[in-house]
Amino acid sequence: MASGNPIISMTDITKVYTVGGEEVRALDGANLTIREGEFVSIIGPSGSGKSTLMNIIGCLDVADSGEYILDGQSIEQYSEEELARIRNKKIGFIFQNFNLLSRMSALANVELPLIYQRMHLNERKEKAKQALDRVGLTDRSNHKPAELSGGQQQRVAIARALATNPAILLADEPTGNLDSKTGEDIIALFHELHRAGDTIVLITHNEQIASKAQRRIRILDGKVSEVGV
Amino acid sequence: MILQSVKMAWEAITSNKMRSFLTMLGIIIGVVALVVLVSLVNGATGAVTSEITALGNDMVTVNVRDDKGSPIRLEDMDEIASLEAVGEAAPSGSLNATAKFGYSDVAVSLYGTTPAYYNIQGLNLKYGRFLKTADIENASYVAVLAYNTAEELFGKADVVGEQLTIAGRSFLVVGVLEEDTSLFASMIGGYSAYAPFTVESRMADEPYVTTLSVSPNGNTDETENQVESYMLTRFHQDEDAFRLMNMSSISDAMSTVTGTLSLLLGGIAAISLLVGGIGIMNIMLVSVTERTKEIGIRKAIGAGKKSIMMQFLIEALMVSLMGCLLGLALSWLILEIVTVIAKTIAFSMSIGVVLLAVGFASAIGLIFGLYPANKAANKHPIEALRYEG
Ligand SMILES: Nc1ncnc2c1ncn2[C@@H]1O[C@H](COP(=O)(O)OP(=O)(O)OP(=O)(O)O)[C@@H](O)[C@H]1O
Ligand SMILES: [Mg+2]
Repeated sequence: MASGNPIISMTDITKVYTVGGEEVRALDGANLTIREGEFVSIIGPSGSGKSTLMNIIGCLDVADSGEYILDGQSIEQYSEEELARIRNKKIGFIFQNFNLLSRMSALANVELPLIYQRMHLNERKEKAKQALDRVGLTDRSNHKPAELSGGQQQRVAIARALATNPAILLADEPTGNLDSKTGEDIIALFHELHRAGDTIVLITHNEQIASKAQRRIRILDGKVSEVGV
Repeated sequence: MILQSVKMAWEAITSNKMRSFLTMLGIIIGVVALVVLVSLVNGATGAVTSEITALGNDMVTVNVRDDKGSPIRLEDMDEIASLEAVGEAAPSGSLNATAKFGYSDVAVSLYGTTPAYYNIQGLNLKYGRFLKTADIENASYVAVLAYNTAEELFGKADVVGEQLTIAGRSFLVVGVLEEDTSLFASMIGGYSAYAPFTVESRMADEPYVTTLSVSPNGNTDETENQVESYMLTRFHQDEDAFRLMNMSSISDAMSTVTGTLSLLLGGIAAISLLVGGIGIMNIMLVSVTERTKEIGIRKAIGAGKKSIMMQFLIEALMVSLMGCLLGLALSWLILEIVTVIAKTIAFSMSIGVVLLAVGFASAIGLIFGLYPANKAANKHPIEALRYEG
């Protein structure tokens, strides 16, 4: 399975924050390759640089140095506008706190990334419904986030990430705000998506969840290392 | 994309109706001020100008202040009338007196003139006839009454053949003019009567012509020039010996005044629109901060700077345009009410002022929306996502 084309290829990525004159090396020469169809979990203690790594993978942020190739494109000299387009087309984000727009229905939330693709109404609705269907929430499409349980909200967020058919799904502690039972359901959903062919990067504190992934990566003080290959 | 932005803006506006309305209020008030003030001035000007044109058509009036020893006599009227650019010429002496009939009396302005006056002034007869040349020559005690004068004195209009006294002298009524329903007449008010110049001048003890009016033969400007040079020759080139007036100079002066007035009022209204615009900017800035998280989410799922910019700009534009529409509706209502109250003048919004209001409101929405929209568009996605409001 791990023989697909590389979707993510990072070499010597460094990200340094300067706070009050002091340097924090959030990422310190990180190397990482993720191939198509992989299910990778990233674990590491708090403050080790997991979210920083994910933000760079997801083009929400850019590295200070190093090379990053996403789906064959080198992400270096891109403008903000181009990065936005890449996020829109290639990345599906799933956050710990769901990050849904509270004023909109579940369906409208899922449609949002498609709107930014300028997709036409009918096709957009169709795709959004399909995505909601994949996470098993067809019957909740008109509910607002506040009318959904945490697990359901996270499913909507996953549907939103899936809707554009991205090259990779990035989930930053997606079960962090859920009780363990609901969390397990969400993880099961990720495994299901993985079996269907999606590429997934999952950040977690939970060793047990991490251990079920096909491949495990550990971060410590901004340095990336493979676990038990 | 624009359609989507409009939809998003609409959702944002309707999700906080009270605040949106209060934001619009500045624009509403500004637009109402602009439209109502300008329309009122325009309506009044239009009414008055059309009255002036209808009333005085294009006659030229001369007022003699100092006759320099060569006063104008009645006989000279023919000479003036024979000027190439002059159609007809008539003297119009006047005196104020009391007219009496039976037990009723009324203060009238008695004008002493000649038959030519009828055409020059553009009068219209209802009953009887106007003054005749024979009346002037014989100095007959005959009078033509204005409609309201007849009604006031006799309680009816058809009074040809009746006798009345003016300043103690007995006059035979030979004609009654049509009712003057114009705004001008109702503004000036008063009662008038017309008698032969020869009679009136004797009563007023003023044998010479001190006021006369002429109708143009062709171009009014040419008429004015010729009459002026005639008078200058007569009064030893003294420009201050007489005064020349025509209706177009009056309406010119008037339109200068009203033009300045509407500019001034429009300017004040524009300032209140500007204040409304600052209100929009203020609320938009608050809204951008409040919605930092939303901006972060939108950016994370692929909204570019331009889309975010567009969303907030359109929101500002919509608030301002909706305010403008409400303001226009309110202005329309106010003008309708004023029209009902004013009775004689119909006030309405001109397309010009509506376009001006819409143009101004959109410009203000765009200009004052630009800064907040730019602020929203430039938020860093990660920091925006972290924001907890
Ligand atoms: N915007 C920032 N400014 C300054 N320092 C930052 C910033 N973002 C992250 N850091 C620092 O970078 C380091 C890595 O942070 P990061 O958020 O990647 O950790 P993490 O592994 O995701 O932690 P957690 O498991 O708690 O979410 C931390 O030491 C953090 O203090
Ligand atoms: Mg983190």
